[in-house]
Amino acid sequence: MNVFLLYALLLKATMTSFSGLASLPMVRNDLVVDRKVLTDRQLNTAVVAGRTGPGPNGLYLVSVGYYADGLPGAAAGLLALMTPAFLILPMMRWLGRRAESPRVKSAIRAVVLASAGLLLSASLPLARDAITGPVTLGIVVLSFGLLVLTKIDTLWVVLSGALIGLLAKSI
Amino acid sequence: MTKPSLASLTALYVKIGNTTFGGGDPTMGLLQRELIARQWITREDFALAYSLARVTPGTNVLAFCAATAGRVLGLAGALAAVLAVTAPSAILAVLLTRGFETWRTHPLAMAAIGGTVAAVSGMMWASVWSLIKPYLGLRALLFSGGAFLAAWKFHVTPVPVIVVAALGGYFWTEKK
Repeated sequence: MNVFLLYALLLKATMTSFSGLASLPMVRNDLVVDRKVLTDRQLNTAVVAGRTGPGPNGLYLVSVGYYADGLPGAAAGLLALMTPAFLILPMMRWLGRRAESPRVKSAIRAVVLASAGLLLSASLPLARDAITGPVTLGIVVLSFGLLVLTKIDTLWVVLSGALIGLLAKSI
Repeated sequence: MTKPSLASLTALYVKIGNTTFGGGDPTMGLLQRELIARQWITREDFALAYSLARVTPGTNVLAFCAATAGRVLGLAGALAAVLAVTAPSAILAVLLTRGFETWRTHPLAMAAIGGTVAAVSGMMWASVWSLIKPYLGLRALLFSGGAFLAAWKFHVTPVPVIVVAALGGYFWTEKK
């Protein structure tokens, strides 16, 4: 896939989202559904790779880029992740506390809520790919429960998932 | 306020950005402590960067890093900080991706990867919950439910859904 097009598509996803995985529905729509340069399994693996290490939550875009176009793609993913951050520089200078406007805040909250609905929609095909039997179903439920009910770090949840999968296979 | 060298500023962001697990909030919390203790930024600068990072598109913590380092050393500081926080972790992410693909042929590794992929599915649903939870109510039902239905049932692409939500939120402000 052309690396500039890849950057543009990933940038579109980051510029229209306001938190870590909120860009995922757009990425899935463009790269899995429309252009078919990625499978749901690869997108799932990219999210795992992005969440296993330290660093910002949107790092999965680097793995997505890597799947789509190797190392140049990974660089495109990294650039798409970094680019929107610099919008804050003119905002700090010119906007200051005016960004506290109730209408602006309300619009952003509405986008966050819509992102949740979009993320839920995008997660269903990924879950269908991930749930292959009772063990993986149990891991999904356990992971959801732990993350909602406790303050456990996602790294431990991901590693526990791996360990349970490994133990179930060994037994 | 004191002005550090670009190298010391970069070193701080490399250290905190690449050794902190758990997403943006722990990273921003640690950076706040270090930046204010070293008198590189004021508490007011921190508060402004923190609140504007929430309304900047993309990953909040990266906007926060650009804003705080930009306050200290301008555009060069912002560029160095964002690169410092992302590049080492990005290299690790690529190595992990390659590792996952290489190990995919091994049955035990596949079982472990299958477990991690299932854990991530649960994590996505937990992310959905964490996005909705602070705003539970009619607006959450309409905006989240509407977006879900539009995407899932009617296959509407994300951009128009986000634009409609932003317009809806702008004109339908919450009553305090």
